[in-house]
Amino acid sequence: MVRLYNVCKAYQKDSSALVDITFQIPKGDFVYITGPSGAGKSTLLKLLYCAEKPSRGQILVDGQNLTRLSPRRIPFLRRRLGVVFQDFKLLLNRTVFENVAFALEVQGKKRYEVSKKVYQTLKEVGLEHKLHRKPLELSGGEQQRVAIARALVVDPLVLMADEPTGNLDPALAIEIMGLFRAANARGSTVILATHDREMIRQFPRRRLVLDQGRLIDDRAP
Amino acid sequence: MFERIRYFLFRALRNMRQAPFLTTATVLTVAVALTIVAVFAILVLNVQRLGSLWSREVQVVAYLDQVPRAEVLQGWKDRLGRLQPVEEVRFVDREEAYARFLDRLGPDDDLLLGVSPNILPASLEIVLKSGHRNRAGAETVVNFLQGDLGLTDLQYGQAWLEKFETFLLLVRLTGLILGGILLSSALFIVANTIRLTLFARKDELEIMALVGGTPLFIKTPFLIEGALQGALGGVLSLGSLALFFHGFLREGMHSLFLSPGDFEITFLSGGMQLVLLAGGILLGLFASLVSLRKFVRI
Repeated sequence: MVRLYNVCKAYQKDSSALVDITFQIPKGDFVYITGPSGAGKSTLLKLLYCAEKPSRGQILVDGQNLTRLSPRRIPFLRRRLGVVFQDFKLLLNRTVFENVAFALEVQGKKRYEVSKKVYQTLKEVGLEHKLHRKPLELSGGEQQRVAIARALVVDPLVLMADEPTGNLDPALAIEIMGLFRAANARGSTVILATHDREMIRQFPRRRLVLDQGRLIDDRAP
Repeated sequence: MFERIRYFLFRALRNMRQAPFLTTATVLTVAVALTIVAVFAILVLNVQRLGSLWSREVQVVAYLDQVPRAEVLQGWKDRLGRLQPVEEVRFVDREEAYARFLDRLGPDDDLLLGVSPNILPASLEIVLKSGHRNRAGAETVVNFLQGDLGLTDLQYGQAWLEKFETFLLLVRLTGLILGGILLSSALFIVANTIRLTLFARKDELEIMALVGGTPLFIKTPFLIEGALQGALGGVLSLGSLALFFHGFLREGMHSLFLSPGDFEITFLSGGMQLVLLAGGILLGLFASLVSLRKFVRI
């Protein structure tokens, strides 16, 4: 599903965010990308959802070579990906329902389809009773679940999340991990960038360890 | 398709409702810009109309030392009538010229007591067609009168015609240049106001792109919003212009132009009002388009 070959990313000439990264993630896999802060986890995810272009190397997602993808095709690739951002990126002036519906509306789905699917997904993340609330009226954990619902509502081929349990208490983190595992069980390939060792210990899966932009370990559980 | 349009329209209206201050600022900017341009247009159009009214007086008069025989005179009139700029040829005999002069003197007509009607020459008055009431039209007729008929005592207000034509050209040129400058400044101001509204929604634009919105999908509601704001600005401009016109401008222009009593200062025609409204829509649309280019990045 995801293949990287000798990928490098440099923002400045003398400092590289990623150096010569090569790995493959098969369809339906569940993978952690771990490493200390500044290791390049977020940059790697950004390359996967085309927010950045690699300086060198090839990236293939679902058979499409992202390095050769024209800007016109990028939106269509993103529609098949679900991304949970570290800062959630919710629209604060929209309701929970509208925030989640947004991801389907950009795809031009019909209104009744959108309503049905959004309600189902919000039910799945346990927020169906807060449809009409705005993000700032919700707790941090609830905002996180809205962001996950927005990623899940499109039935993504690849679900990516950047530090999804970073600021949550352990009970809430377990609940959130349950959502990712459920998505994985439904067939989505899941890639979580995290430095939460406790979470990795509780839910052991394949780990790609980054340090100073290099892949230093690729370890199965 | 219909659902798409409904969705875009709904989004545009909601965006406007969610940012009332910036929406009002954009609408007012468009309205002020269009009003300034329209006031100038009213001025230019009325000056042109006044010019056309004055140009009705443009005619060529050929004074005849000797009145030719009736058939010769008729021949001249026929030949003159065949010239392209000529609308009508009138023969004014000595008696009619005297009667007109008396009439013009009004209460002072006793000045002519004891003066013979033969003192004034007979003449041919050549009225020009509306499109030819200019120097070129007059000169065609004058050349014919001098060259073909041998008449030399001619009057057609050469100096006045030249001044009048230069004045009209100046008014039109000033209108074009000032209108262009005003519209460019309006576009600049409106584009910057819209840019402010887009800056306030920077996050929304970014998130739309990240969840797979195409540039067209992202831009369309903002373009509709710009067009709606432009249309609102146009309507506001027309309303305030009508008030300004009836309350002040019409009287002011009458005094300024020293226009004759039968000359009515007019407001913009229906077509011109539509052009103003369309101008507002285009201004909003174009300003949004210019601003969006900088904000929507995939």
